[in-house]
Amino acid sequence: MSAAGEVAAPAQPGRHFWRVFLIGGLISYRALFYWITPWQYIPTMLAAPTFQILFFVYLGRAAGVGSTAFFVVGNCIQICSMSGIYGMTMAISNERFFQTLSPILATPSDRLAVFLGRGLPVLISGFQTCCFGFLVSALILGFRPAPAELPQLLLAVLVTSASCTGFGMALGSIGLRVRDVFLIANIAYFMVLLVCGVEVPLHQLPLPLRALAQILPLTHGIAAGRLLAAGRAGAAPLLDILLEGLVGVCWATAAYLLFRYFERSGRRSGAFDRL
Amino acid sequence: MSGPGVREALSWPRVVAWGWFYQLKMQAQSGFMLMTAVIQPLIFASIAMADQQAGNHGLPILYYALGAGIMGIWSTVVFGCGGALSWQRHQGTLEPLVMVPAPFVLVLLGISLGTATVGLYSMAATLLWAAVVFRAHVQMADPYLFTLGAVVTVVSLGLLGLVMGSSFVLYRNANAISNMIEYPVWLVTGLLVPLSLLPGWSHPLAYALAPTWGVEALRAAAFGGQPLPAIGWCLLASLGYLALGVWLVGVVERRARKSATLNFQ
Repeated sequence: MSAAGEVAAPAQPGRHFWRVFLIGGLISYRALFYWITPWQYIPTMLAAPTFQILFFVYLGRAAGVGSTAFFVVGNCIQICSMSGIYGMTMAISNERFFQTLSPILATPSDRLAVFLGRGLPVLISGFQTCCFGFLVSALILGFRPAPAELPQLLLAVLVTSASCTGFGMALGSIGLRVRDVFLIANIAYFMVLLVCGVEVPLHQLPLPLRALAQILPLTHGIAAGRLLAAGRAGAAPLLDILLEGLVGVCWATAAYLLFRYFERSGRRSGAFDRL
Repeated sequence: MSGPGVREALSWPRVVAWGWFYQLKMQAQSGFMLMTAVIQPLIFASIAMADQQAGNHGLPILYYALGAGIMGIWSTVVFGCGGALSWQRHQGTLEPLVMVPAPFVLVLLGISLGTATVGLYSMAATLLWAAVVFRAHVQMADPYLFTLGAVVTVVSLGLLGLVMGSSFVLYRNANAISNMIEYPVWLVTGLLVPLSLLPGWSHPLAYALAPTWGVEALRAAAFGGQPLPAIGWCLLASLGYLALGVWLVGVVERRARKSATLNFQ
């Protein structure tokens, strides 16, 4: 309201959505992502994934399974889930931990903007980690993807980062209700190593795990990445990228529905921030 | 040594034993530690064993089960001991622990050994997993030396945890270091990848780290080799860690008292 008592014109809804999405998302990332400072980011998001890549490349050599490229592509794409899974879990469920969930849900802001805005910085961070992994693999392990397919490989990485972010959103939403969501996030992070064809060829897994892999992020993105890195462009990798995107959309939708459900039930019981 | 001094020294094992017991109780109820000690090693064991079955079958399943078991002990040590002092400080209990008459290093020693003992869950879990899921023949050629090797390995990793716990307290982002050093130690100590496959420059580092000797002792006891030399090296490494840990705890304690950061996060 102005000094003269005039009511200020309401902000345009579309503009307000994008402000909450972009600025709100960035602020929440800065506030809630534990590993944002260089002292945390470098050891956790850059060094640890590099050692992970080296560990599994050597394990593959010891077991005599797959090529160096098999493990490099699998791990370089998988490490985006560190940002997607842990980052999104922090970005949503830490609101509850810091007792800031109630004030946020008391605002009239568009819930979709609040929710999705948190995903964008996490997605970018995951993409960055993947690119760093590929760069380090090129320098240390001599990994050379087919140059002609590099743009498509980057697309596969981007889509996989997005689908991991969707998956992380679902875990974060669960964190609005369960007490120790980081335990679930940890298990999820390590399970995808086993199930999604990151370290073990999918056909080696039992049928139930192979079926589970189809609905988890990473599986199709890694399959596409391996084809593209080997220079095998065409319909198959594009279909895999499409499937990866679809998996991500499904997880993000499920996450949003869970978020709204927990919001409604929290309003009814008055227990948003109960730990 | 005077009478009260002797009495005080006689109480030291009790301080360590109670510290060990309470840490064991607390860690055994922590979901995160159980995840680190049981679920995570099982996943890594499954990956290694599935790769072995898909690959050249060059190494037996039991080789990977033992390696993954020690990986679990290392993880519990890294996260449990590495963060022990930081956690005490965060909880506001570090100051009383430093103020009590018992030497602080003994308090920390109990915490470190208790945390490493929780890691034994991972050894049991990976051996059971290998037998049940991967149908491995889990039989120890020398069960007595295997047990001795397991105890010595836990003690040496606990003492390595003492070194980490005391040095990490100077670093506010101790959990970031913990996140970072899990994989490199798994790799260079030959837990799942034979040392012969690793570059020569990494070998001296491996020989300075207790998991290298621990896994060698357990594998020798399991497969019918000579575990005693590796057990001896593990004990020698333990003495080195103990000496380093005692010195570091003293330095850190003085620095923390001087800067008044015992209860400061």
